[in-house]
This record gives sequence, C-alpha cells and structure tokens, in this order.
Amino acid sequence: MAELMERHHLVSKTKTLLIAPVVFLSVFFVVPVANTFLRYFQFSEFIDVLGNQSLRSVAWFSLWQAIISTLLTLVIALPATWALSRYTFLGTRIARGILTAPFVLPAVVVAAGVLAITDSRGVATIIWAHVVFNVSVVLRIVGPRWSMVNHRLENGAATLGARPSHTFALVVWPHISAAVTNAATLVFIYCFTSFGVITILGGVSRRTLESEIFTQAVRLGNTSTATALAVLQAVIIGAVFFITRRSSRPNSTSLHVSSPQPLHTKPRHRITPLLITATAVLIVASPLLATIYRSVVVNGQVSLSAWRSFFSGALPALSVSTQSVIFTSLIFATAAACICVPLALLVTSSSAPRALFSLPLVISAATLGIGLIITFTTSPYEWRSERWLIPVIHAVIALPLVVRALEPATQAIPRSLRNASATLGASPFITWVRVDMPILKPAILRATGLSMAVSLGEFGATSFLSRSGSTTLPIAIAQLLGRPGVATQQAGFVLAALMVLVTVGVMSRA
Amino acid sequence: MKFLRTLLATSFVVAITACTSPSSNSPIDATPNEVTLLAYDAFTPQEGIFDAFTAATGAKVKVVTGGDSGVLISKAILTAGTPEGDVLWGLDNTLLSRAQKVELLTSYEPVDTGDICVNYDKQWFASRNIAPPTSFEDLTLPAYKNLLVVQDPVASSPGLGFLLGTIAHFGVDKWQNYWKSLKENGARVSPDWTTAYTIDFSGSSGKGKYPLVVSYGSSPPAEVLYAEKPIDTPPTAVIESTCFRQTEYVGALRGTRNPNLAGRLISYLLDVPFQESMPLSLFVFPVNKKAALPDLFTKFAVAPKNSLILDPVEIEKNRDAWLNSWRDIIL
Repeated sequence: MAELMERHHLVSKTKTLLIAPVVFLSVFFVVPVANTFLRYFQFSEFIDVLGNQSLRSVAWFSLWQAIISTLLTLVIALPATWALSRYTFLGTRIARGILTAPFVLPAVVVAAGVLAITDSRGVATIIWAHVVFNVSVVLRIVGPRWSMVNHRLENGAATLGARPSHTFALVVWPHISAAVTNAATLVFIYCFTSFGVITILGGVSRRTLESEIFTQAVRLGNTSTATALAVLQAVIIGAVFFITRRSSRPNSTSLHVSSPQPLHTKPRHRITPLLITATAVLIVASPLLATIYRSVVVNGQVSLSAWRSFFSGALPALSVSTQSVIFTSLIFATAAACICVPLALLVTSSSAPRALFSLPLVISAATLGIGLIITFTTSPYEWRSERWLIPVIHAVIALPLVVRALEPATQAIPRSLRNASATLGASPFITWVRVDMPILKPAILRATGLSMAVSLGEFGATSFLSRSGSTTLPIAIAQLLGRPGVATQQAGFVLAALMVLVTVGVMSRA
Repeated sequence: MKFLRTLLATSFVVAITACTSPSSNSPIDATPNEVTLLAYDAFTPQEGIFDAFTAATGAKVKVVTGGDSGVLISKAILTAGTPEGDVLWGLDNTLLSRAQKVELLTSYEPVDTGDICVNYDKQWFASRNIAPPTSFEDLTLPAYKNLLVVQDPVASSPGLGFLLGTIAHFGVDKWQNYWKSLKENGARVSPDWTTAYTIDFSGSSGKGKYPLVVSYGSSPPAEVLYAEKPIDTPPTAVIESTCFRQTEYVGALRGTRNPNLAGRLISYLLDVPFQESMPLSLFVFPVNKKAALPDLFTKFAVAPKNSLILDPVEIEKNRDAWLNSWRDIIL
C-alpha cells in the first residue's frame, strides 16, 4: 500500500514537471495550428484531394523517395556511426564535424553545392542531398547509445564462439535498436516533408506534399486545398509513428554501463572503420567543398576579394553588416537552445507519453506558419512581428529532436543510483543535480548543439514571420544568391562557406 | 438582469464607436512617431533615404520584410483588414487583382516599373561567332537548341512574367504550341531565379551551361555595379522583344492604424528623391517622370517602349488555368 502511494506520488510529481512544456507547446504550436485547420479545412476539399490524380501522385512520390532516402541514409550512416563510436584514429574529430555539419546549413547551400558537382536534377540528386542532410541525425542519435554498449559483452560473445554477425544481432542490436528506429523515423519524416531541397533540386515535376502545401497556400492562394493536403500529410506521418513505436517498444534498458566505453586505438583494428568513415565523408563533404570552392574561385581564377570584403564587414546590396547578421543568428540560436533544452529535460525526466512532443514533426511547417500570422494578430496577443517569436518557434521545431537526443541518455541512468541517493536522504532535486546531471552532461551539450543547429538552419515556419532588421544567416545567403552581380553571389557563398567551416569546427568538438 | 442589459448596451456602444471612429473623426494616427512599411525581402532601399521623411513628419519609417513577393502578398491577403503595417510595397500587376478581391489596399498607385526579358551571355555568342537570338520565335530554332533556362512560373515571379509575355505575344490559343516547341528545343526549367541565374546561366557568377536566361531588363547594370573587379560594360545583354512589363504598386493597407502617415509615406515614395534612388538600390525604373536616371541605367538597362502587357483582371481570371496547361505541357 505504501509502495503504491509512493508511486502515485511519483507520478503526480512527474506530471507537474510537464506543465511548462505543455503550456509552451499549446500556446505556440497547438493553438496556431488548430486555428489554421478550423478556419480553412473543409472535409469536401479533403475528399477532392484524395480523388485528384495529380495530388495522389505527389503523395506517392513523397512516400517512396522518403523510404529510399531513409534506407540509403542508414546504409551510409550506420557503419560510420559504428566506426566513430568505437574507434579513434587521425581525423575522427574532423570526420564527425563534417558528417554533422550539413544539418545546420540552409537547403539552398547544400543544393547549390550538389548542383556545382552534378548538373542533373531529379530523384538521384534529391536523394543524395537528403543523405547529406540526414547522416548527422543518425550519427547524433545512435552514436551516444552505441558508444555505451559494453565491450566485455561483445568480447564474451566472441570468446564463446559467436560470429561477428551473431554478436551484433544478439548483443549490440538489442541495445541500439530503439535508437536506430528513432533515428530512422526522424530521417523518414525529414525526407517525407522535405521542402527546400525539393524546390531547388526537384524542378517542376518532383513535388512532395510539403512543397505542394506551400505552393497551394502561397503561390496559388488555395488555402483550403493546402490544409487538406496538410491533413493527409499528418495522417501518413501519424501512421509511421504508430508503426515504429510498436516496433521500438523500449526493451529492458539496463545497459550494464552508463558511461561511454574506451575507444579502440590499436592500428590493426582501424583499417575498416577508417575506410567506412572516409566513404561517408566523401559523400557528405563534396557539396560542402563545392560551396567553399565557389567562395574563392571566380571565372576560373582564385580570388579572395569576397572574403576580404567580408572581413571588412560590408555585404554588397544588403543594408546589414556581416557582424549584425552573424550576431542575430547566434542570439536566436542561443535563445532557442535556452528555451528548448530545459523544456526537453523536463519532458525526458517525466514519464509522460511522447506523442504530444512529436507533434511539431507531424504538422507541416507551412500550416504552422499560416497559423502564426493569423493567430497572433490582435492585441494583447499581437506577437507576429515580435522579434522574440522567431527563437520561440525555433525552439518548438527543435523540441522533438532534442527530446529524442536526450532520451537514450536519461534512460541509461541506472535506477539503483537514484534509489541509493534517495535512500541516503537526498531530495529529488539534489539527486537530479548529483546523479542525473553528471551523466547527462555530454548529452545536454549535444542537445544544445542540435537545438542551435535547428535554429540556424530553420527556413520553414519562421519564413512566414516578418522581420524588421533581424536578418539571419540563411536569409542573408538566400538574398545574396538571389541577386544578379558576381560580387553579391560570391558574398553569398562566402557566408555559406563560413557556416560550413564554423559548423565543422564546432561539431568536431561537440 | 438590468446589469446585464447595461453591460450589453455599453459594449454595443463601445463596439460601434470602435468600428466607426477612424472614419467619422478626422484620421488620427495611433503611433505618430512610427509608420510601418511592409515589403518583400529584396526591398533594400538606399541607406538613409527615409531621413528626409522623418525630418518632415517626425515619424520613423520601420521597414518590415516578410518573404519573397508571393509569400508577402499571400500573408497580407490572409490577414487583410488586420494588417501588420501601414503601407504595402510590392504588389505587382500579376497579383493585383487577387489582392483587391479581399480589398487588401484602400488605395494604390504604381510606384515603379521593370521588365522581365531574356538575357544573354555576350561572350558566349561572340566567341562562337553565333548571332544572339532576337525574338521569342528564334528561341525555338535549332541554332539555339539547349541554350535557354527559364523559371517555374508557379514559384517564380520572373518565370510567370516570361509565360505571360509568351501569352501576350502569341495569343491565348497559340502560346501552348510555342511552349511545346520550346520544350522540344531543350529549354530548361529551373525552380527559381536564383538557381537559373547563378547556377545554370553562363553569363554571371555561376558559369553554368546555358547562355540564355530569363531575368530582368535591369540585370546588365547590376552586373556592372556588383562586378567582382570594376568593369565598363556588362557581360550580359537583353533581348528587347521578349520583355514583359511588370508594374509594382504601393498602397495603404485596409485597417491601418496610421492612415495619415500612410498617405504621407506613399507621397514620399512617389516623390523625386526616393524615385531617383530606386534604380541603383532596387533595380527598377521610376514612374515619376521628373526623376532622372543614373548613367548606368541609361546606358545598360532596358525598358522598351512597347513592352508586352496583359490586363491584371485577365491575368487573375486565367492564371490557374494557364499554369495548369503549362504544367501539362512541361511535365
């Protein structure tokens, strides 16, 4: 009886932890999105959409390209994740940096890089760009988990005569399967709702539901068709969540260890991982190198003039300085992380269902964008032109990802440690600070990086928000590349190259 | 009960006065120190150009940008009546009718003009001793096979301008055949201006494979102004007979809280100093006849007297049908 009461007590405690994230998500996500649907969704329009041959083929294309993109991403990312979480060799850090950098970059940069290498547009280039973007998702989510699998278990299996494939299937896979499913679901959703890559590389014939929602709402003014498509998209993503959740029921998560295992450093072990990593880096890095190439080569000749004028602080044609662009981006990214990471910690520390916090992944960015401008319109909620709304929305969009990045680490905290701490008289807060915090620290740092990355690269929902003098990096790049004149375009590539270099630098340390 | 009735009556009176006050009284501005100009992202006015306005009126001009022109106008339409600013910059003749269906603006006037025309890479044609094309018809000749890049008219405003130009030139029944021949002659469709001009086009920074691109009549002077090293003549030129006239409008948004200032700002935008600043900051032509053009524009920018035009009402009526048949032809 006492035990039951205690459990009851615990449950209500974890529920109070959820108040802040739930309120936050309701105000800045649920209400605007519901507003869009209430105002524009018509059931008859939904039936029309289902019956429309051309829109059905859009849905079908979204689906199959996302499946292939996800599978290819896993094929390239999983071996690299294995190599980087088990081995260390010259260049591991930089390889990690390169593989995770694209996540931050605006689609226009990666797409321009891809186009600089191959002239052809179409499915193959789209899938390549999707792989470039999403390898980082797998690395970030599966990597920490994989690095915690106890080597002794594997060695033990090997000693007992298990072949490597058996060891993997019986020892390693059970530990990482939930993280892999998690990452694969995310990658699938990112590819399924792909927008920037599709508009640049898809030409006119390749459209996803997300790009069609945008076209219908913004280009053709058919808001009700757009919301009908958004419902269809949400239904499909919801179904994917349902399927993957069932197959990734957390199996017993006692990991025997709670800290990363030492890395192999002996030369003879390292040939295969080295080759695997090199392949992945080649696939991911080539578009990034193309960006840097275009920032220093003009008309076939090396020219540093764009970099020189960059360091002098002037951006041609734009009425903002480079310093203010970079400053604005960093402020937004920092603010978004300061909102997002604490909320995500509250979510992961409670035993709440995660479905609510996955919602921002399910709902189309355009739907949220429209919701924001029609909801925060009248005082006292006239927030649509407020500068703070931008990092707040970045935090909303980053939340599902950050929750997922923190989850494996919070699950891996041994319950015995917490119990011991409680037995010794520590309050839950002290336990959290003394037990959870030190174990979570690397995961929190990673989550902060992820959240900042989402903020720096976000170009969907917040592009519906108006700005007054707060130009961010992706916007400045898009504007510079969007004007005639060699100098303006080169300045755009300088900013893009800068983003590449800085992110590779930061990510190789994180 | 009585209380309830009083409350209802009071709120009714309040509601009525709230609704009618802006029109019944002489307009009084809600924020006399600041007027908000809503514009697309590419609106980059000359630095300090609004100082004179502030000196004359005591009000600062806050420029709020919100996406490309399509995004900006769609957003404004969705929130028509409860606008985010006082004055809207960037409605053009292709979107004017759609916007006025919901009475987005209380009044509007043309503020600038420009042309959407096929540009070519001078060096590419000169080095091969090929004469550049001079008409829409030329673009379907075998000599110019696989040389032209255009933009998707659904997503891109120059793309739409070029399509409308072909409709104006060939007529509402014949343009479809023209596009079939364009497609057979290897015209490439890029999603937007940036990709077409900076990646596919050979005459600008991208050094792509296509020496013909749909862009603006004012792109050549921009190439000179923003050259990597100073140059005297632009590397690109314009095929004048392909030019389609684009007119941009400026107007007061319905529901503005500063009707007075909005009117004064519109007058300011139409006055000579601002009009003369537009060519080299926004790359458009002034509508004010008294505004003088900079040398760079008189020498290299193109604004033909007889550009192709279409009636905005006609465009609004047929846009979806035209885009659909265009998709059918190209896909």
